[in-house]
Amino acid sequence: MTAPGESAAGGTALSVRGLVKRFGAHEVLSGIDLDVPAGRVTCLIGPSGSGKSTLLRCMAFLEEAGAGTILVGGEPLGFAETPQGRRRLPPARIRAVRASIGMVFQQFNLWPHMTALGNVTEALRVVRRMGRAEAEAKGLAQLRKVGLEDRAGHYPAQLSGGQQQRVAIARSLALEPRIMLFDEPTSSLDPELTGEVLDVMRGLAADGMTMVVVSHEIGFAASVGEQVAFLDGGRILLHGSPRDVFGKPRHPRLERFLDTYLDRGAAMLA
Amino acid sequence: MTVDWGLLAEKLPDVLAASGVTVAVWAASAVLGVALGAAVAVARRFGPRPVDLALKLFVEVLRGSPFLVQLFLLYFGGPFIGLSLDPIPAGLLALTLYGSAYYSEIVRAGFAAVPAGHVEAAACLGFTRAQTVLRIQVPEMAVLVLPALVNMTVLLLKETAVLSVITVPELTLEISAIGSETYRFVEALTLLALFYWGLVEACGGLGRLAEARLSRFRFAGP
Amino acid sequence: MSLTLLALLVRAAGLTVAISGVSIALGLALGLFVSVASLSRRRLVSVPARVYVSFFRGVPLLVQLLLIYNLLPAAGIDVPGVVAAVVGLTLCTSAYQAENLRGGFLSVPRGLLEAADMAGLGAVQQFRRIRVPIAVALTLPTLVSEAIMILKASSLVSVVGVVELTRMAQDLASSTYRPLPMFATAGALYLAIDWTVAGLGHALERRARWGRA
Ligand SMILES: Nc1ncnc2c1ncn2[C@@H]1O[C@H](COP(=O)(O)OP(=O)(O)OP(=O)(O)O)[C@@H](O)[C@H]1O
Ligand SMILES: [Mg+2]
Repeated sequence: MTAPGESAAGGTALSVRGLVKRFGAHEVLSGIDLDVPAGRVTCLIGPSGSGKSTLLRCMAFLEEAGAGTILVGGEPLGFAETPQGRRRLPPARIRAVRASIGMVFQQFNLWPHMTALGNVTEALRVVRRMGRAEAEAKGLAQLRKVGLEDRAGHYPAQLSGGQQQRVAIARSLALEPRIMLFDEPTSSLDPELTGEVLDVMRGLAADGMTMVVVSHEIGFAASVGEQVAFLDGGRILLHGSPRDVFGKPRHPRLERFLDTYLDRGAAMLA
Repeated sequence: MTVDWGLLAEKLPDVLAASGVTVAVWAASAVLGVALGAAVAVARRFGPRPVDLALKLFVEVLRGSPFLVQLFLLYFGGPFIGLSLDPIPAGLLALTLYGSAYYSEIVRAGFAAVPAGHVEAAACLGFTRAQTVLRIQVPEMAVLVLPALVNMTVLLLKETAVLSVITVPELTLEISAIGSETYRFVEALTLLALFYWGLVEACGGLGRLAEARLSRFRFAGP
Repeated sequence: MSLTLLALLVRAAGLTVAISGVSIALGLALGLFVSVASLSRRRLVSVPARVYVSFFRGVPLLVQLLLIYNLLPAAGIDVPGVVAAVVGLTLCTSAYQAENLRGGFLSVPRGLLEAADMAGLGAVQQFRRIRVPIAVALTLPTLVSEAIMILKASSLVSVVGVVELTRMAQDLASSTYRPLPMFATAGALYLAIDWTVAGLGHALERRARWGRA
């Protein structure tokens, strides 16, 4: 575990270069460059529609960018630049690189036909081909980490939103990813339930997990984020430590954004 | 209305054999129809666009025209294009194709009902597409499509009666024959109706039972 | 396919449409009646209605038609085949439509009826002016698919001797020894009718949205 401020184990876990993404004629990402430092938390903030989710989904290869590269631990994700141009990598290669990435969704996306434990062990069994006993032991250990060992036999419909999101985090962690992506993990939760999810995320950060977090929880971004990137209109407008980005004088776009999004935690920056 | 029990006992073996044909043709066409329908739905969803369009035409033609006409086309028209089938295989083939069109639409709706996020979650965890279909999409849609599947399968049972028209020796043909032989048409047909009614209701009951079992995860807990 | 043969088939298709149309309309009226009965709190009313629905949905239409075709003369009622056909199709579709309408009645939001109560509408007025229009609109898509079902099912009345489209194709097939073009043309005519009905249904559904998106 590294103390805050101390430099992390090393280097860049994920780097994005010149990423462009269009939906039809609509250019949603217009040339994104971003380095995600290993062992640190990177927060993406920005107004609705600025492209935060799209960027994160490109990092998980849920969206295919039209141009640019994403390197995960030095390995190209999805596309490789060859002398003949940009080529899509074979599915097995994509899955291999993707295996080091975990994703947590705003809507949890737990599979409703499996228990909490089933959700956590499914990929271990199907993708990693682990035996039942081993997978279940591992799954229970993950559920314990998010404080839900006693809910292992519950179906998602029997869990609260906060519990569901913690199961979803455990499901991702079970595959031991090196990078965790979070897309507004607390946005569909009642206010009193966001705390338990943020606590789990803080714990992960303290353990040195590399994280990219899209969140409107400005307070979380300011306190846990090593770096903050402010997206606006498909570009990274501001980028740096929370102190640099949030400190005064502020960029007028950011000022406007903070005014409209002045939610929990933003007040402490005033 | 009086029932001639002696007559009934005399005809019982024939009736049993004929109901065996009804149930066998029905079960076979349901199993084959679901398999073919699922294949059509998968090909339409994951295949290239021309395949999707060609299969859409196949489905819409089968759903838009009467089963009886399809049956006549296959049974009487088939020999003209080198496809001479006996009544039972012809009936089975027609019923399977007819059912597959409806089953494919049910499976298609099932795919559409599984939220994209559930598929994305699997992709993020390294599932292949086949693994995602088999482990996530199919089990998740099972509950949603079960009532429609049961419904369609019951419809298929009722369609088997139409096979009597091309002399498939199933129950409706047998009972009609007995009816005209003995001049007890109304009695015979009433018993026939009761047989189908009972079977259909039993299927519906089984379907509801299966649904209740399968859907336990959908009930919100405390 | 000569033009004369085609004309014969098209004319027979007219009978198919007529028989189906009449049966669907009569079936809607009867279905409305049965659905209301099946929702009654009095078991003496609701149970027979449910048995009716269950029976006509549970027995193959062909068997129903054979039964009616033989039952009417046995009961001393002598009617032309077309009438027996319409009776059979109507009874069958009314059971399906009753089941659909039952679902429609059950999904009329309670609040609408409470509002009607507050507005002073009596029970009969509420039924006629609020519940029926909303229930029918809610079940319009199933009504359209039921209409298509009956159009296709009407081919079965050929078996009891009504010379509608399928029977005409059958007769022409055996007299010309060319079953392939006859049944294919009949099938195409059914498709044309069904797809037209489906298109009309979609247009109707758009109108019954009362301005909603
Ligand atoms: N699948 C899609 N098809 C078409 N347009 C899309 C798609 N997904 C996103 N967009 C568009 O891309 C833009 C960026 O969307 P994105 O979801 O990345 O924004 P966001 O920053 O995450 O916003 P929010 O804070 O509301 O989640 C929006 O204008 C959106 O309408
Ligand atoms: Mg978003």
